[in-house]
Amino acid sequence: MVRLLLLAAGLFASLLPVAVAAERDYTETHDTPYNNLTIQKIGNVVELRARSRAGVYLESAVDLSDPLKLVVPYTQSLYAAAFFEPNPKKALMIGLGGAAFQRVFAHAYPEAILQSVELDPKVVELAQTHMVFLPTKNTPVATMDGRLFVKRSKETWDWIILDAFRSGYVPPHLKTEEFYRECAARLSDRGVFVSNLHASTKLYLSDIKTIQAVFPQVVLFQPAGRLNVIAIAVKYSAPVLKDQDVLARLPQINQALRARVDFSTLARERIDVPVTSARSIRVLTDDFSPVEFLDAMKINNTKDH
Amino acid sequence: MARLFFYFIVGVLGILSMGFQLLASRLLNPFFGSSLIVWAWLISTFLAAFSLGSIVGGGISNAVPGRRLRAQRLLAVGAVVSLGFTAFAGRNVLGWIELTFTDLTVGLLIACAALFFLPVTLLSSFGPQCVQHLASMGTPPGKASGLVYGVSTLGNIAGVMLTAFVLIPHFAVSTLLYGWLGVAVLSLSALLFILRSSGR
Repeated sequence: MVRLLLLAAGLFASLLPVAVAAERDYTETHDTPYNNLTIQKIGNVVELRARSRAGVYLESAVDLSDPLKLVVPYTQSLYAAAFFEPNPKKALMIGLGGAAFQRVFAHAYPEAILQSVELDPKVVELAQTHMVFLPTKNTPVATMDGRLFVKRSKETWDWIILDAFRSGYVPPHLKTEEFYRECAARLSDRGVFVSNLHASTKLYLSDIKTIQAVFPQVVLFQPAGRLNVIAIAVKYSAPVLKDQDVLARLPQINQALRARVDFSTLARERIDVPVTSARSIRVLTDDFSPVEFLDAMKINNTKDH
Repeated sequence: MARLFFYFIVGVLGILSMGFQLLASRLLNPFFGSSLIVWAWLISTFLAAFSLGSIVGGGISNAVPGRRLRAQRLLAVGAVVSLGFTAFAGRNVLGWIELTFTDLTVGLLIACAALFFLPVTLLSSFGPQCVQHLASMGTPPGKASGLVYGVSTLGNIAGVMLTAFVLIPHFAVSTLLYGWLGVAVLSLSALLFILRSSGR
């Protein structure tokens, strides 16, 4: 009888790790010094969300059955950078999130460097433990403030992508003319500056005007039905970007990236740059950047749009 | 009426102290970011300044009248000069610190000590002297202390709310720092005039 019980216990013990190892759905919340994060797995999809005053923002997601799939639409739109600089050798991304952009970049450009900068150590940890991202020598992650990193960097980048949010808004010092000048100084001559903007508040118009104060050319892409607008800016005045048929550049973009990003749809996401000449729309500077307040003013309530 | 004006000045000094903390955060932002580390250093610097200012002010309030008046003038001039230094040279100093000290903690320590510690210490040294003034006018010391720190704390709250919700959304930080300097000159001059009566 005792032997039978021991056998049953042994069988149960041998099955237990298998049961635990089988990936079940879960929801975890993490309070960090910078964010209130929720990471949730439903089926094959793991989503990283951050709580803000307006609700819960979906920061990033990964499909575990296909980690290279870009689940969140705006992440695809960030790759509009490839229309204008199709072969980046070195890229810098400020804001890691769930590292969806990084996974595809490492796959499409295995020889290129993608340096990521993330302020919140917990985000870096969750990207590695829950979202299938393992930093390599080509995809290093620095845990620090993005602006400090840019200021102290001596490198030149072909792409600089700004996608840093803290509880739903971008910290004021990452929105100013001075910061964009620091980014422009670290951008290669034909390099591309990419910024993820939100088109729903008055901050959007100031964002555009501030980027225009530094970069001679700005074009915008907006995923259908979304409030995200991806601003693409360059340091040169010619050739004129807005006159270009971006799809004509498709053959220059490598096949691995084209397999993951629907560039035909992306080309149709181009939208007009809003008029920002009104005096009430202010350029944001280190001396004047009321980002939180502009972000609280809905664009429909203003006469500027 | 004179008593009400005295409380008004105490409240204005409260506004200057805590409103200055929000301006300080905006000044530090472009150089050190807005992480928890920045806020930890900033809050600690202001609390250390409040602490030292109270001790210094308490010591001076017990000095003999002539000495006390001289010390009060010195503290007021020091507060204005150090505020002026932050307003006019703050950004250049921060730029230099950022380049010289690559360690974030060391840089922040030096920046907070150089730009914020002295003016806040000197401004808060007037708290105990205001208590002494009320006590010398016949208010019991406990009541005098409660009134001064109560009104000063209301000023602190007003300073935070006014700076966060009205001033920063509409004015450049440099403009606000010059404004702080102007208000400090006026309010400290008025306070020195008031304190003269209890210093004789």
